[in-house]
Formats: sequence, C-alpha cells, structure tokens
Amino acid sequence: MFTLKSNSGIPIYRQLVEQVRRMVASGQLAPGAPLPSVRELALEHTVHHMTISKAYSQLEAEGLLERNRGKPMTVAQPRRDQTGLAPRLRQVEPQVEALVLAAKQLQLSETEIAKLLRKKWEEEP
Amino acid sequence: MTEAAMETILAARQVGKAFDGRQVLADITANVAPGSVIGVLGKNGAGKTTLLEIVLGFSPASSGSVQLWGHESVSLPSPIKGRIGYVPQHDELIPLLTGAQQLALTASLHRHWDHELIARLAKEWEVPLDRRITVLSGGERQKVSMLLALGHRPDLLVLDEPLASLDPIARRSFLRQLLEITADQTHGVIFSSHIVSDLERVANEVWILREGRMAWQGDLDALKESVVRLHLRAREPLPQLMKVAHTLHEQVDGNTATISVSRWRADEASSLARRFNAEIEVEPLDLEDIFLEMHR
Repeated sequence: MFTLKSNSGIPIYRQLVEQVRRMVASGQLAPGAPLPSVRELALEHTVHHMTISKAYSQLEAEGLLERNRGKPMTVAQPRRDQTGLAPRLRQVEPQVEALVLAAKQLQLSETEIAKLLRKKWEEEP
Repeated sequence: MTEAAMETILAARQVGKAFDGRQVLADITANVAPGSVIGVLGKNGAGKTTLLEIVLGFSPASSGSVQLWGHESVSLPSPIKGRIGYVPQHDELIPLLTGAQQLALTASLHRHWDHELIARLAKEWEVPLDRRITVLSGGERQKVSMLLALGHRPDLLVLDEPLASLDPIARRSFLRQLLEITADQTHGVIFSSHIVSDLERVANEVWILREGRMAWQGDLDALKESVVRLHLRAREPLPQLMKVAHTLHEQVDGNTATISVSRWRADEASSLARRFNAEIEVEPLDLEDIFLEMHR
C-alpha cells in the first residue's frame, strides 16, 4: 500500500504522511476507509512502531484521519473548512511556480512579490 | 500501562573509560526508554563495544555510573541480570556442541525459556541445529548466538554488530523480530551496526560515537531533519569562508558552495539566501551521508 524507503533523506514518518495525504486527496483512500494498524505497518516495512504512530498522530492532528477506540484508524469525513486544501493548493501551484520563475528572472525579491500579491488580493472583491 | 512498564531501562551518567591512560570513552550520558530501539553508530575504534560492555556491567567505567532498572550495572542482582540478553561481537559458543545442545545448555541456566519462540525462529532463520558449532558458517553461528540471547525473553537486548554476517533475508527477519520484541513498549534494544541502512530502518533513536564521545544522540527523524546539505548558487563569487552556523563541512567554488550543516531549521533558508544573495537548494541526507559528513 505504501512505499517507505529507509535510505532516503526524508524521514520515514514524513514519507508516510505525504503518501496518505496524496491518497486521500486523490480519493484512493475514501472517507471511512480503514488504515492498517501501527503494528501491521511496522512489521510489514520493518520500521519502528513509533515511526508509524508519529505519522498517524500527525495525520490525525491535521484532521485527515480519525482514531477509533479498539478499531483501525479511518479516513476522516471531510470538513468543509479544510476539505481538500492540499488538492486546491496543488491546482494553483503551476501559476505560483510561473510567478516565482518570472520574479527571479526580473530580479524581484520575495518581499516585493508578496507585497504585490497582497495588493492584488485586496483589490479583488 | 503500569508504572513499572514505563520505568527507564538504562541510565548512563557521564560515563568515561580509560585504558592505559588512553581515554576510550568520555562524558557519555544517555537513557534507554521502554519501547526504544537504539542504533549505535561509530567507526572502528570509536568505542561502541566498550560502551556496550560498560552499560551491561561487564567492565567497570573509569568515571560516571550506569544504572539498569535503578541498579548499578557493576553489581547487578542476578534476577536483574536475567532481564538482559546479549549478543557479543565474537560469539562464545562451545565448538563441540551441536546448536541444539548449546541451546539446551543455555536454557537450563534460565528459569524461564521460551522453547516455542526459539523453535519458530530457528526454523524461520534456517539454523541447522543438529550440526556442531565448529562446522557452522559465520552467519549460522551468529543466528545461534541470537537464539541464545532471545530464549529467556530479555527486557533489554544488547547486540554488538549482530548483522554483519547475515544474508539480507535473515537480516530482515531478525529486524522484524527486534520490532516484535519492542512493540509492547516495555522492552528495549540497543544494537551497534555498520550496516547503516538496517539501523536506519528499525531504530527510533541513534547514538553516534566519535572518538569516544557522543557526537549525536536522540531521535533518528530529528537527526535527519537537522543535518542537511545546502547548495548555494550566487551571482557573484562567494567568500572563501562562509561562516554558516553549525557547519560540518563546506566547499566553496567561485559562485557556488556546498555546505553541510547540523541543527538546520527550514526557516533559515531565506535568510541565508539573502545574506549571500544566492539561491539555495536544501538536500536532505540519509543516515549514511550524515554519518560521513560528521566524520569529514
């Protein structure tokens, strides 16, 4: 289900957090879907159980997963205010990348761009 | 969880060791909490084996103290000794016995012995228990050694280079066993290894020894997040001495520089970029690279 690489510079718990996020965002993991237990994942990937529980706790704190007494964790029902923040952010990422590139080529600083962004943000109803 | 289960397994306080006037270990302060798997890393001669022997009370410290479950390690009562399992770097098997005889002998010295666990592991690891120790390969001897250390279900398992002569399949199976042992949050494992990728997998904490001192100790994820390699690209030549805080190693080449740093915080990137008027790429490092950077 997941690909966890030990010889990566990215800590294993972060690899897991990112993969769950992606799978939830893409709908591969639907609301209510159960996650493997900490023990199962730890043994399957031969990684310390704390590594898995750290990832699950972070995802729970983000509201992406729900802890259920005595049962596996499940994907949380999306709440309006945070629904798909990540996928929506991803949608504007190409435009932001283009902006950053253009700004660097024009030797504009991050602060200057932020200022302009704020101005435009306020102008837009 | 009971109070006893949360009890610190091992507490070392300012441990030092000198042999013939040469300081082999200095100022080692460390704890082992229940549920931890601690990986001990260090070059040959960094003091790994000496440290393991001292924490187990096999050899006295020249200074400082080590306590196991609140008892001084040099004078452990035998019930406490019985809570430890140890796999030495060089096994102490009796050559003329078969593996089965060696196991039976060790089992007879313990009040409790998990015959079922040992039978299962022996099968899983394909240990030829009917053969004499003398004819076993290095890897097979190592497996027998591990069975001896696991049979009494120790609360603290200490392994000195246990993986060196195991094939990848046996290594993986053994690592899984370590995780099974610690999953209940009451047991602890300390193991030293040169095979950094194995250690990187199962350890939640690492101790990096360098010339007898603790060069880094703590959470493995925190270590990985704090040691990074920075790649700077500026429009103008960079200074020969970059003087970036917590630099481990730097290489400046005209407009570009590569600097490895410890104690990195992600929010430092933008201020560094401004300071050198440069673009910065932050490269995360795996444990092996971190280890190498610390020894350059």
